[in-house]
Amino acid sequence: MSDHGHAAHHHKESFFTKYVFSQDHKMIAKQYLLTAIVMGIVGIALSALFRLQLGWPDEKFGIMETLLGSGWAPDGVLDSNMYLGLVTLHGTIMVFMVLTGGLSGTFSNLLIPLQIGARDMASGLLNMISYWLFFLSSSIMLASLFIESGPAMAGWTIYPPLSVLEETQPGSGLGMTLWLLSISIFIASALLGGINYIVTIINLRTKGMRMTRLPLSIWTFFVTAILGLLSFPVLLSSAVLLIMDRHMGTSFFLSDITTSNGALDQTGGSPVLFEHLFWFLGHPEVYIILLPALGISSEVIATNSRKPIFGYRAMIGSILAIGFLSFIVWGHHMFLTGMNPFLGGVFVFTTLLIAIPSAVKVFNYLTTLWKGNLVFTPAMLFSIGMVSTFISGGVTGIILADAALDISQHDTYFVVGHFHIVMGMSAILAMFAGVYHWFPKMYGRMMNKKLGFIHFWITITCGYGVFIPMHFLGEGGMPRRYYTNSEFPMFDHMIDLNVVISIFATVGVLSQLFFFWNFLYSALRGPKASQNPWRANTLEWTSPVEHMHGNWPGDLPVVHRWPYDYNKPGQAEDFVMQNVPLEPGEEEH
Amino acid sequence: MENKFLIFIVVVLGVLALIQLVKVYEMTSKVTGDKSQENITPGENLSQAVLFLVFMFALFGGTIYLMLEYGNGGLGEAATEHGVMIDDLLVFNWWIILPVFFIMNGMLFIFPFLYRRDPKRKPVYLVHNNKLEMIWTTVPAIVLAGVIIYGLRTWNFIMNPEDEGTVIELYAKQFDWTARYSGEDNKLGKANFKLVTGTNPLGVITTEGIAESFETIDTEIDRLDSVLLANSIEKYIDNQKTTEYLLPDGKVAEMSEKIERLKRQKYRIKSGLEIERNADADDAMAANDVVVKGEMHLIVDKTYTFYFRSQDVLHCAWFPHFRAQMNCVPGMTTSFTLKPTITTKDMRLDEFVIDHYKNINTIHNERKRRIGEEEEVVDFDYILMCNKICGASHSNMQMKVVVETEAEYKNWIESQKRFDGGAVSYTIGAAATEELAQEIEE
Repeated sequence: MSDHGHAAHHHKESFFTKYVFSQDHKMIAKQYLLTAIVMGIVGIALSALFRLQLGWPDEKFGIMETLLGSGWAPDGVLDSNMYLGLVTLHGTIMVFMVLTGGLSGTFSNLLIPLQIGARDMASGLLNMISYWLFFLSSSIMLASLFIESGPAMAGWTIYPPLSVLEETQPGSGLGMTLWLLSISIFIASALLGGINYIVTIINLRTKGMRMTRLPLSIWTFFVTAILGLLSFPVLLSSAVLLIMDRHMGTSFFLSDITTSNGALDQTGGSPVLFEHLFWFLGHPEVYIILLPALGISSEVIATNSRKPIFGYRAMIGSILAIGFLSFIVWGHHMFLTGMNPFLGGVFVFTTLLIAIPSAVKVFNYLTTLWKGNLVFTPAMLFSIGMVSTFISGGVTGIILADAALDISQHDTYFVVGHFHIVMGMSAILAMFAGVYHWFPKMYGRMMNKKLGFIHFWITITCGYGVFIPMHFLGEGGMPRRYYTNSEFPMFDHMIDLNVVISIFATVGVLSQLFFFWNFLYSALRGPKASQNPWRANTLEWTSPVEHMHGNWPGDLPVVHRWPYDYNKPGQAEDFVMQNVPLEPGEEEH
Repeated sequence: MENKFLIFIVVVLGVLALIQLVKVYEMTSKVTGDKSQENITPGENLSQAVLFLVFMFALFGGTIYLMLEYGNGGLGEAATEHGVMIDDLLVFNWWIILPVFFIMNGMLFIFPFLYRRDPKRKPVYLVHNNKLEMIWTTVPAIVLAGVIIYGLRTWNFIMNPEDEGTVIELYAKQFDWTARYSGEDNKLGKANFKLVTGTNPLGVITTEGIAESFETIDTEIDRLDSVLLANSIEKYIDNQKTTEYLLPDGKVAEMSEKIERLKRQKYRIKSGLEIERNADADDAMAANDVVVKGEMHLIVDKTYTFYFRSQDVLHCAWFPHFRAQMNCVPGMTTSFTLKPTITTKDMRLDEFVIDHYKNINTIHNERKRRIGEEEEVVDFDYILMCNKICGASHSNMQMKVVVETEAEYKNWIESQKRFDGGAVSYTIGAAATEELAQEIEE
């Protein structure tokens, strides 16, 4: 990408090429963010609906009938098939659309060129196609909520045979077809995006931007893209095999099944094969979600601690170690599938290994905060919150990684509590941190900090209020994905707990209005931002506030130092930007 | 109508007021060159720092409250031999996890208060420290090594039982459980999914079962044929016989396809099952099996191995009180070995359980009154439930499990029927002597 390309961009753009089919990474990032916000609203609204059912299973809710229709919620009582549909789509939308597409799509696109000093992504066209495939995939997923037989209902893991045989569940008809279509398109989008991120980071770094001078955010986006590139094709292949099982009479995942249609022809396949393929993506997927979150937090915490991130190289090592290990742990989702116990033991070992780099990261965050000069911007609050949920959710992972303990915890609410804290909350909090932190870069305006404070405190309180009690439901043996627990009097002592969870969930969902209002209002009317509002070191803050194609007027910035020179001894300012040359005799760090 | 108009007016006025407010805000920010959103004032910084402390106390307080109130989970002590080991391992893990949770979160929330911005203090420029980093890499590694070793020992003990004990099959389908006891020979009759019929729901392979499935298949083919025939008209066009149907094309195709499939099924049963099988031995193995639904009885202090099968989709057998769980996978057999150690009766006499169920009865019947159902007395029972999403009634796929003495078990099992229709006879101690004989043999 040379200045030639930069000059070519100066022609006047039409509305369509600027706002719709844009190839500018900053616009694409904003498109990703807006789509993710819309999908996020749907995703959490679905969870609010099924939390109403779980908190008050005997009540009638008019809003259910209004939203879902009298077929799925007659007289305001949620249908049990639709309950599973809501759970399935909540999981799918949050995991794929919001936390994979939304998080990586927004911040990789926005930050990679700006932080490495590139004019744009390696391929603007692929980038644009990637977004529009994401948009198409999201639209199809939303559309599946409106069809007569309902959306996919087999859980976000869509295990066969439930997801294959329509006679076992209404959602396994057209709903599942749309789910598979949507996810296949989504994977295409993720792959195009991922290739682009990797190529851009490797090839388009500006002069002086060595790999060891990259901000940690870029390192996480880099490893995330590699994880996606290696694991998403496996999900795509399993989706294709599933489609063949559904429509072409193959039996990759089916064997020895008798349904209301009689004995099926298919023999010789195994649903466990699907589980292996699914989790071969599914576990790296956790880190595809989590790594960018950790990267964003690293930037925000270093900047607002006014201190270098502690153990930069150890952090990179941890990111690489986590990325590598995430590929050899998938079996811990399958301890109880009848897998060979020895193999289970191997997965226990590899899984618990991940705790080491994770612990290193947490210690490094704590040491970064230690004796810093902490400034509590909304982004900083969300980042500290993210480290907290990473700790709180991470520790219970030690229990679930232990195959012997998994026997008594598997698929209970303990699991639901665990992964929502460590993956869901961490990633969402970091995503908010990223939005508050880089909003000035995206829209050239500031978000309101007071609304940000309110938003953070309600969100983290409600998040913990929902998911910590779930661990105790799990200790009581309560299985997840139950439409109601009323058939089991042994769970009656936990009725109150479910009510409390539902109240926190409802308040938490409603409190996001603070964010939406703040976001929309500030994007249109917020006070104009200055060039480097947080006094940060990274290159994106050297580019002008007003967006321009090519990111920098004139030459690209040249990098002379790592991104964490905060309060460096001997410097007048408490921050030194990456493009400031080393003074004579100054050591890099 | 008037109301709606009023609401409309209010909304419009509200929007107008908001627009005015925004304008005023914008004008003032232009005048002042507003940087207020970029700078966090000392007051704000302090209040956020204090809120972190407050939040820490709320989080810790809430967690401790939940631990005290719900920490035991309500399941009571583990009622199997291996379950006690799992619970011990769990407690061991909690002793590692809880300190980490409290200390790390504590530091995370106290640091913001201690190190909130102070212009007079210059933060240390601390880039890295090899010694510290070595410590916090190796310490977790050592602790985790302990966790792994203890965990794997338990896992291997549970998964590689020395002795299979008495064999019971648990058969899952949407949405109930069927148990098949292996009878005196402790061997389950073979089964095949192609033989599943209304009268042979588990598809057990016996001469009778095969004949029955042929009969069912033939009846169904005849029925479909006759429906097709009754709705068809034969025509001769250009001296060629063609058949037209009064039914929609899709329906005809579906029915013809089903006929074909049934024919294939019959052929497969003939070519596969019938040839391979040793009819007498197979029939004998199945004859003394006992199939039960609704509830399953087990003898206390006796080892059982459950073999799990599924008819349709994935299910998962979850015995919360036994701390036992295993998936039921169509097309393969999975197993789990356990030894119940406490009878249902003894469990009901346990002080914790008595208290707990007093509480549960209160809550349970409060709800019953509220929804206008009859009140009932709930007592402790072991239970088997489904723990893998399996469809609409997943949340009510359950079976009661009773653990009792051998004498009580004899009474119960003898009230059941053998697979061949005969009466069950159970000799107390028979299984034990058999086991002993086997051991001597080895």
